[in-house]
Amino acid sequence: MKKLSIILLFVLMLSLVGQTVTFSQVLPKVPRNETLIVDALHGRLANPKDFNFWKPGVSVGNGAQQMLFDGLWYLDPQTRKVINALAESEPVYENNFKKMTVKLRKGIYWSDGKPFTADDVVFTVDYLMKHPGMSYSDAFNRYVSKVYKKDNYTVVFELKESIPAFHYLFTSIVYSTCYIMPKHVFEKVEDPLKFEFNPPVSLGPYVLKQYDPQGYWWLFERRADWRRTSVGQLYGMPQPKHVLFIYYGPDEKKVMAQAQHQLDLIFDLTPESWEILRKSNPYSRIWYKDFPWAWMDDVRARIMAMNLEKPPFNNKDVRWALTLAVDIVDVVTSGFDGIARVNPLWICATESLLKEYYLPLESWLKDYALEDGFKPWDPTVPDRVVDYAKKRGYTVTGNPREIFGIGWWKYAPDEAEKLLVKNGFKKVGGKWYLPDGTPWKITITAPANFEIHATRLAFAVADQWRKFGIDVNVETVEAGPFWNKWNLGDFEVGSYWQVPATDFYTFVQGYHSRFYKPTGEVATAGNQIRWKNAKLDKLLDDLVNLQPESPKAKAIVTDILKLYVEEMPAPVFIINLKFNSQDHYYWTNFPTSDNSYMAPVWWWGQFKFILPQIKPTGRK
Amino acid sequence: MFMIIRDLYRSDKKFAFGFTVICLLIFLALLSFVSPYDPKLWNVVPKNRPPSLHYILGTNSMGQDIFWNLTHAIKNSVFLGSLTAVISIFIGTFVGLLSGYRGGGLDRFLMSVNDSFIVIPSLPILILISSIIKQHINLILIAFILALFSWPWGGRQVRAIVLGLREREFTYMANFSGMNTFQIILTEHLPFVIPWVMANFINTILWAIGMETTLAIFGLSSLETPTIGTTIYWALQYQALLRGIWWWIFTPVILAILLFVALYTLSVSISNYLDPRTRIQRMRMKEGGSEA
Amino acid sequence: MNLLKRYIIPRLIQYFIVIFIGVTVVFLVPRFTPLDPVVTVLNRMTSYGAQYLDPSAIEKLKETMMELYGLKGSIWEQYLNFWKRLFKGDFGPSLSIFPTPVISIIANSLPWTAGLLVVVAILSWIIGNILGGIAGYYADRRWSKVMSIVAMSIYPIPYYIMALVLLILFAYIFPIFPMVGGYSIGLTPSFSLEFIFNVIKHAFLPALSLILIGIGWWFLSMRSLTSTIVAEDFVTYAEVMGIPSRKILFQYVMRNGLLPQITNLALQIGGIFSGSLITETVFSYPGLGQLLYMAINNGDFNLIMGIAVLSIIGIATSALLIDLLYPLFDPRVRYR
Repeated sequence: MKKLSIILLFVLMLSLVGQTVTFSQVLPKVPRNETLIVDALHGRLANPKDFNFWKPGVSVGNGAQQMLFDGLWYLDPQTRKVINALAESEPVYENNFKKMTVKLRKGIYWSDGKPFTADDVVFTVDYLMKHPGMSYSDAFNRYVSKVYKKDNYTVVFELKESIPAFHYLFTSIVYSTCYIMPKHVFEKVEDPLKFEFNPPVSLGPYVLKQYDPQGYWWLFERRADWRRTSVGQLYGMPQPKHVLFIYYGPDEKKVMAQAQHQLDLIFDLTPESWEILRKSNPYSRIWYKDFPWAWMDDVRARIMAMNLEKPPFNNKDVRWALTLAVDIVDVVTSGFDGIARVNPLWICATESLLKEYYLPLESWLKDYALEDGFKPWDPTVPDRVVDYAKKRGYTVTGNPREIFGIGWWKYAPDEAEKLLVKNGFKKVGGKWYLPDGTPWKITITAPANFEIHATRLAFAVADQWRKFGIDVNVETVEAGPFWNKWNLGDFEVGSYWQVPATDFYTFVQGYHSRFYKPTGEVATAGNQIRWKNAKLDKLLDDLVNLQPESPKAKAIVTDILKLYVEEMPAPVFIINLKFNSQDHYYWTNFPTSDNSYMAPVWWWGQFKFILPQIKPTGRK
Repeated sequence: MFMIIRDLYRSDKKFAFGFTVICLLIFLALLSFVSPYDPKLWNVVPKNRPPSLHYILGTNSMGQDIFWNLTHAIKNSVFLGSLTAVISIFIGTFVGLLSGYRGGGLDRFLMSVNDSFIVIPSLPILILISSIIKQHINLILIAFILALFSWPWGGRQVRAIVLGLREREFTYMANFSGMNTFQIILTEHLPFVIPWVMANFINTILWAIGMETTLAIFGLSSLETPTIGTTIYWALQYQALLRGIWWWIFTPVILAILLFVALYTLSVSISNYLDPRTRIQRMRMKEGGSEA
Repeated sequence: MNLLKRYIIPRLIQYFIVIFIGVTVVFLVPRFTPLDPVVTVLNRMTSYGAQYLDPSAIEKLKETMMELYGLKGSIWEQYLNFWKRLFKGDFGPSLSIFPTPVISIIANSLPWTAGLLVVVAILSWIIGNILGGIAGYYADRRWSKVMSIVAMSIYPIPYYIMALVLLILFAYIFPIFPMVGGYSIGLTPSFSLEFIFNVIKHAFLPALSLILIGIGWWFLSMRSLTSTIVAEDFVTYAEVMGIPSRKILFQYVMRNGLLPQITNLALQIGGIFSGSLITETVFSYPGLGQLLYMAINNGDFNLIMGIAVLSIIGIATSALLIDLLYPLFDPRVRYR
């Protein structure tokens, strides 16, 4: 029996090894050099066959929105340029922003041969309005009084009130937008909440060819009529004949897969995983060619969110003291090995926004003084990070201010101490005591496993505050409870990433005191730190009546940024970084720092516009 | 007690081995009290140094000395395991004694509850509970929730023994002499059960340490407290395996093996010493943690 | 008849009580936590910044979803509803991927889990017990001791590390085996030889990792079981009578030792319904474990319940069957 089983095992092994040559490729049936392999954002999906994007909770980042759907406009955060996709041009507002007219692109067809027309757009809005429970349903019901077509390629929206940013509902500013439905499919659907939209009819340049019922991969094939899509009209032929979205598993496996050239684009890695990949695959690259490699133009930045209703965080001086007690260079170097761009303001320090908001504000920042005259601005940060990098033996090419940010707040424990003492805090034996005489303990809430940079920032900041003399504890929390705590305000200090970028206009609206919810109630509007400020309300009231692109709106945004510095509701530390590695072995000309034509966001809907711009290297 | 240990140490090579290793580990755990570093602090030593005279087991990517963290890890893991074992043995033995002695409806009820906890899939529930209480999690809490799923195995065994004892003369004697249930089970039956409890104790320690490691791999342990599990968690987080920082990842693994081998041999020789035949049933309990 | 009344019926009643208590506990635990499936879905929508909804619109959406998910009403009402549905064999819709029925999600992944875990459980049981039995019978031999040491050192290796090392060795350094999935992309499931080989190839590393740990355990327990049986009188008699040692080993010692092991095997097979989370994570292998993990993270009560109920019934039933069938294996045991 034993012998038999061993022999059996041995035979089995041999026969499997014998087949190795044909099976080591991840895609045995499709030529590798015609295929682009992309990391699936959501990992494994429990229901991989559902493509009904308009149903709440359906995940479309694993290829569906990049390959199959299309929207009217896309706002690329890297260049801050608008791509007119299904719309031919920018929207035209009339009647004090109560009427919006959209001209549609002609010659676009669905993958089943039906033409895309104004009927589809009108149908999408009407249909969603008629079906509560669907995404966007409530929004449309609230704003739209009537939608109709003027001709086959012109849609008119009549709005219930004046809404200068209505077109944002159809613009992919971050990640995705309200994509357009195929009327000829959905008009036959009784209950869209039970409809899976499978097989999906595509408006993008690809169609779904095959998917894994177990939810690990999706294979897409280029449409023969790719010219009849917005991508084809704008940028030409998408290069890869096939695109495979696949989830390889934990980071170590993604690293191994890319090192074997079996995974071209990775969503995000940990810094350590990237280090391994960088050393094992010379074709791997993220953004910068040299240190700090990572892409740092993401649309969120890391904050230490303080619940402003919990003392002592309701005190501005305390918040400033905690900010000044942090040596940002130490945080960046010890927590992130110097791979970070500091982000002092309440708007992300991306390539485009640095130019648009940070540089004009620089002189104001230099002169800005706290009430006692202390000037907190520290412009030396980028140079100090470069020094660190050199010490570590890395080369830095490029302008340090563009890479590492233009500055942050000073490391001034003395000033921090002054601010605290002024408010009745006491420091005895190197430990801080609250005004009521109890030892000062802070608990930082941080994500457990799913946002590694937030976790590391929490630990690094905790380290700083401990050195300053505060008893800090970091609690790491799983995703479910983490978001719950966030929404309920059940945190003292939380490591979150709630900072706007190109979406500033819509993002800040939620901070109006109209939407304010006290701690203990769910803050769905985004103001989880419970910031309530009359000045802010005033600015927001003005902003909402302006078109987002207007210079006046920009001036108000600047004022809000200044107000944030004065109040310092929650110190912003660094912009989100991504180690979204690209493999230049089979494909090249992905967006990089020397060719930053678009944001390298494989998981966003706008990824479809990158596909025509990449080039095959000719390797087989 | 001391005499027994001495006898065993001389006569049983396995025992001698296990006992020596345990003493060594306890010595290391005690060293943690003179550790020069607070295990919660990062960046107290240079990062990623291989083992050397200065850093016996090297340093990790968070700037911590692995040797000194290891001493804490042993202490904490053994503490966690022992606490789990104490709680679960306490409940299990009590339920088993009561159920076995009283029999009838109470027996059926207690054993139904007992078996319910055996059939509930423990890992998912443990993951669920610990992910919910993550923010308050500490070793004592983990020990309690682990004990929740380990007591029923002991409960069943103890009941089986007591069922045999119930019909014995001395039980009737005690009963006639007016002792109440609790007096009988505690003074008359408990002594018979003690040998089982000993081996069970060790097995539960091993199970708890293994389970904590599994939870830690999913980040569901008290991550700032060094244990075998959390050390592995951090090493994996920082990709120690692929980056070739072997001294970081293999230290807790080897420690886990040592601890297992030592405790396992101890448990085998103790039960051999007490009664070779009872060992079999005792070991069934361990089975729960095999794959996890 | 007497047997039925005195043994089987009480045992059956207990079987149902155990299932009832188990299911109730699993029902209550997630509901007494702050997990909220609706908030989780909303967060998923907003955390990517996908939705530019007016805050008040989000409020309304939340209401609508509570209604839709059947989460309105007291826990007691939900509990009654749950049992009503369960008797119809319906676990309700999944909440994280609404409205897909839980049962179809489970049915989709169960074959993979069952296929892998049953084979693994049986294989490691057979190999571990045979090796353990032999090693226990010849406990004084050198090779027997070496085997014990090996088993003792393999078994406590944290499973995640074991799996990862195997994967790095045989899928990366020597890329013999695939890194992901249950079969190659582009193949259509069929009963062709090519497909079956492909499936085996994909299952090989996951199975190997589980079998290594499994063997370790069966080996250790069987070895010590046998070494006690060897000391018993009937074995000594058999030896005195000159029966060949192979025959003693397999027909006398092993047979006795295997009996308790059968119970354990049955419990293990009954427990496969909750999947093997780590195996699936490391090898990206299809199965129920990760689904359950995702369900826990998303507060998907119905999916958690679906898998947990199956698992509870699975283990309870195995235990029941073993109790009822045990006398067939062991003539010494009578129904009591």
